[in-house]
Amino acid sequence: MEKVIMGNHAVSYGVQLARAQVIAAYPITPQTQVVEILSEFCANGTLKATFIKVESEHSAMAAVVGASIAGARAFTATSSHGLALMHEVLHWASGGRLPIVMANVNRALGPGWNVWTEQTDSLAQRDTGWMQFYCETNQEALDMVLQGFKIAETVLLPVMLVLDAFVLSHTEEPVDVPDQETVDRFLPPYEARYKLQPGDPRSFYGLVAPEHWMELRYKMQKAMEEAVAVTQQVGAEFGQVFGRAYDVVEKYRMDDADLALVTSGSIVGTSREVVDELRDKGQKVGLLKIRMFRPFPVAAVREALAGVKKAAVVDRNISYGVGGIFAAELKSALYGTPHQPTVFPFIIGLGGRDVTPQSIRDIVAYAQEHDAPAEEIIWMEVKR
Amino acid sequence: MSYIITFKSEADMPDTTVSLGTTLYNKTGTWRYMRPVYRNKTSPCNYACPAGEDIVNYLQMVVRGEYEQARQRILEENPLIGVCGRVCPHPCESECNRAELGGAIAIHAMERFLADLPGKHELPRAEKTAPRGAKVAIIGSGPAGLSCAYQLARRGYKVTIFEALPVIGGMLRVGIPAYRLPRDVLDREIAAIQSLGVAIRTGLRLGENLKFEDLRDYQAVLLAVGQHRSRKLNVPGEGAQGVLPGLEFLRRINLGEKVEIGPKVAVIGGGNTAMDAARSALRLGAKTVMVLYRRSRYEMPAIDEEIEETEQEGVRIEYLTAPVEVLTTDGRVAGLECVRMRLGEPDERGRRRPEPIFGSNYTLSVETVIPALGQEADLSFLDEAVRKAAGLIVIDEAAATSRHGVFASGDAATGAGTVAHAIGSGKRAALAIDRLLNGQTLAGFPALNEHVHVAARNVDPTIVRFEDINPAYFTPEPRTAQSQRPAAERVKDFREVNLGFTESEALREAQRCFSCGTCNQCDTCWLYCPDVCIQRREHDSYEFNYDYCKGCGVCAEECPRGAINMEEELKWRK
Repeated sequence: MEKVIMGNHAVSYGVQLARAQVIAAYPITPQTQVVEILSEFCANGTLKATFIKVESEHSAMAAVVGASIAGARAFTATSSHGLALMHEVLHWASGGRLPIVMANVNRALGPGWNVWTEQTDSLAQRDTGWMQFYCETNQEALDMVLQGFKIAETVLLPVMLVLDAFVLSHTEEPVDVPDQETVDRFLPPYEARYKLQPGDPRSFYGLVAPEHWMELRYKMQKAMEEAVAVTQQVGAEFGQVFGRAYDVVEKYRMDDADLALVTSGSIVGTSREVVDELRDKGQKVGLLKIRMFRPFPVAAVREALAGVKKAAVVDRNISYGVGGIFAAELKSALYGTPHQPTVFPFIIGLGGRDVTPQSIRDIVAYAQEHDAPAEEIIWMEVKR
Repeated sequence: MSYIITFKSEADMPDTTVSLGTTLYNKTGTWRYMRPVYRNKTSPCNYACPAGEDIVNYLQMVVRGEYEQARQRILEENPLIGVCGRVCPHPCESECNRAELGGAIAIHAMERFLADLPGKHELPRAEKTAPRGAKVAIIGSGPAGLSCAYQLARRGYKVTIFEALPVIGGMLRVGIPAYRLPRDVLDREIAAIQSLGVAIRTGLRLGENLKFEDLRDYQAVLLAVGQHRSRKLNVPGEGAQGVLPGLEFLRRINLGEKVEIGPKVAVIGGGNTAMDAARSALRLGAKTVMVLYRRSRYEMPAIDEEIEETEQEGVRIEYLTAPVEVLTTDGRVAGLECVRMRLGEPDERGRRRPEPIFGSNYTLSVETVIPALGQEADLSFLDEAVRKAAGLIVIDEAAATSRHGVFASGDAATGAGTVAHAIGSGKRAALAIDRLLNGQTLAGFPALNEHVHVAARNVDPTIVRFEDINPAYFTPEPRTAQSQRPAAERVKDFREVNLGFTESEALREAQRCFSCGTCNQCDTCWLYCPDVCIQRREHDSYEFNYDYCKGCGVCAEECPRGAINMEEELKWRK
């Protein structure tokens, strides 16, 4: 059934359809509506889940970690400072190999209070062992919840799905909300291998001495590596069931492209428009959407950019001292491959500053006019 | 499966750190250098009780609804629980740690509640230790004599009490007014002692119609004659008609004599006898009664509740004043000249010495003067063989006098002046007589200022103070007060003033008890032990599993009542 709903509610409907059993969350702008409506679902019985009110995001994550150890399908949502506060417990979720799904609504971190979109909050958690998926539309946000649980429960690592503050979170779009039966067929109940239960007492997360520690970390990395193929497989299956297939990256009009725009999140939607416009003018410009950031889909990125002369990476984030994080990851992925494209690292739209079609046109124009970037970071639209 | 699992490769390992077996193989007890041990300690109430009652344990029995066991626990030490529940000045409550959080436990009212429970009121027997035909004579049927008689009779001794007065009970009957101690309560408890075979012969006063030689058939004699003589006022006019010494006044009322008093009465003194005399005078119809005390309220020796009740009934207490002369007309009291006092330097007992203020004399118009300045024993009946000093019979720690086979207890020997002390003292004499007549040594009794117990207490002598209580487990809860008859009502007769606790009040009060130093199976240690090495056995005791206890001390730290000790491991001691 098609509904016109905001991105936050698209996530909520996904959680309801996924039949999450435990939800614990602490409200923060711009995430609040995600759990607001979920608490209503729990209260009116349309979602048979335990909703745990907590006093902080640290506790929210701790609560879903506990629920997940007990074998429940668990969900939480947060943003920005809330995610930062969760940081420690993120490691417990991933190291505990718990298939938790969390929605993070991208928001800049203070000081300089700012509630608008920026990817730095989620990207700063890239080494916690969580898978990360960046959504382009409200539809994708809903679909990602369903796929997220399936991927997480297969590889036993938690999933963070990410959507832009306001651009998606508070903007209403038509979204196809699938029916429960179909979702149930796609996503069976979660069965934990080991779980906390009185009849089978076990201790979890005890001390591990150096003699076993590395093996556990090796297994986590292997699970991450496996996650690429699993995501592709789940995305394909999703396409068969719901008619919308997904891959770890998406190539848009990349055939014979000389220049590829590489970006993520809602900027992808804007870029599609510009690419169509430039293609109409006969320019060989394509678009590579990076949907999965962790694990980084190295093979897919290499394959997509093979033969492209220039890659213009549009980052709405910054790792201070390096620059755009997607750009850095892309360079790293391309290192050592033959015929590497010249990478143009753009930073734009921090703290929710609008990224318009003209911004994208300017980025394309810069890459077309330069053989190589004139500086290490190409700052767009900064008053300097 | 309890052994160390070592994995050969990551493929054998679970994905995360989850236990696949147990850690029982890992005997963490070897890490320990301090060892927790359950060790009950002495509660301050138990320490303070002159009658040697096991208060902390009987209160916990009340909490568990074990009322009869609680009563029996007291009766082991004290046969006069209805008496003590009413008239004891309760030194236990003065020490009670609960005072810091809502007021001391109303222990006296708890004791009274147990005493007044319906039932047969039989006293518990003890193991028979009396040699064949052993007979003991007791002089005086007051609380000391009755306590000694009880402890001996329940061990099989043939006991005869000789009482000088025509009535039984000593000061309990002729000193304490009936509105504080109803006679049916006293009769009931004396009858229970008599039913153990104790013979009581009244109207026989040693030195008058009873001679020491008459007691030849008895292997031991206890002197428990009390202090029945009022101290003198030592002012001019003391011999006038209308001056009634306090104890004599009370004795005559209690013997049913008609006592004439005027409409205006002055009672002199600040002890319980003064309060009793003042309140009795009101009940005999006096219009105004005032108590004159030469020190201030702070130094006043009467029990606080007594003072409050006395004031409620309309008695005016004048502090810092002392009589200098009883004014007389035709040999009758016509007034009382007093002088104002002030407090000077402390005396040898630490109380500030009252000094007269020159020129502050004033006159009170009264018809009756009741001096109640304390009491002393009349020991004129004793010959040199029994040593005396400072108006008291000299005794050693076994209550033995200087004459072989003769013991002494109660006020005549200790001067302590409370029923509870008399009961403890009589019990001490009984235990000593039992030993003497069994040919055992009399050494080893606790010092006279400590208290004796019949039932052995396997507890550490350390007294638990408020600092030893874990305040995290207790909130302030107000002390439960007994209900009383209204003051205007009760001055009209000698019926009892205090009405006692209902069952729910008693239970609420018992539940306020910290159970200082005394494990009451609250499960706190069991819940807190991070090594799960405390085992609960049938919910009545706990056991440490020292194979695993690391000696972290959380149990001892958390114990709400200080019943766990941390002791150094022997292996670490040099």
